[in-house]
Amino acid sequence: MSTFQPINPKPFLKSLIGKQVIVRLKWNKTEYRGTLISIDNYMNLQLDQTYEIIYEVEDGNETKKEESIGEIFIRCNNVLFVREAKSEPQETEIETETSVATESNGNENGNKEMETD
Amino acid sequence: MSTKEEPLDLIRFHLDEFVLIKLRGAREIKGKLQGYDSHCNMVLSEAEEYIYNDSNDDVETKKTEMVFVRGDSVILISPI
Repeated sequence: MSTFQPINPKPFLKSLIGKQVIVRLKWNKTEYRGTLISIDNYMNLQLDQTYEIIYEVEDGNETKKEESIGEIFIRCNNVLFVREAKSEPQETEIETETSVATESNGNENGNKEMETD
Repeated sequence: MSTKEEPLDLIRFHLDEFVLIKLRGAREIKGKLQGYDSHCNMVLSEAEEYIYNDSNDDVETKKTEMVFVRGDSVILISPI
């Protein structure tokens, strides 16, 4: 009989420290790819060697702007999800996956404009 | 006392240095970091605010000698 071993959010995030991750924001179709340096109790994030990736739709074509921005602090409330960046991501698969995630979640948060402080 | 590194340390290490803050509503502020707290409320001196309009070409710029930025509009902070 297999015993189920839960992986809880915080231990999971901690296990990603030192690895390449992709952080998706709730707004602006923006992602940050970089090395996860640290997290805190709010799940604020610190990334190093970061690339900012902004997806834009122009005449139905999705374009992608990438820019190196080095070391950053991301405030917790902006984060939609964090996932490990697989060595060489297959673009098509990832784009569909992420856009679905933002569509559903983006609306929800966009309407309420919720900010907790 | 073991000081575990946390994200806000990145900000602490850049006190009295210039940082770029990305804000909600297509705005950015560059300024010298005078102080901050755990909400990312921040006080900047020699600040320059950049407001990006839909057409990415024209950027509105505003200069302020001393400014308080409320933390809830902060998206990210990066040292320059």
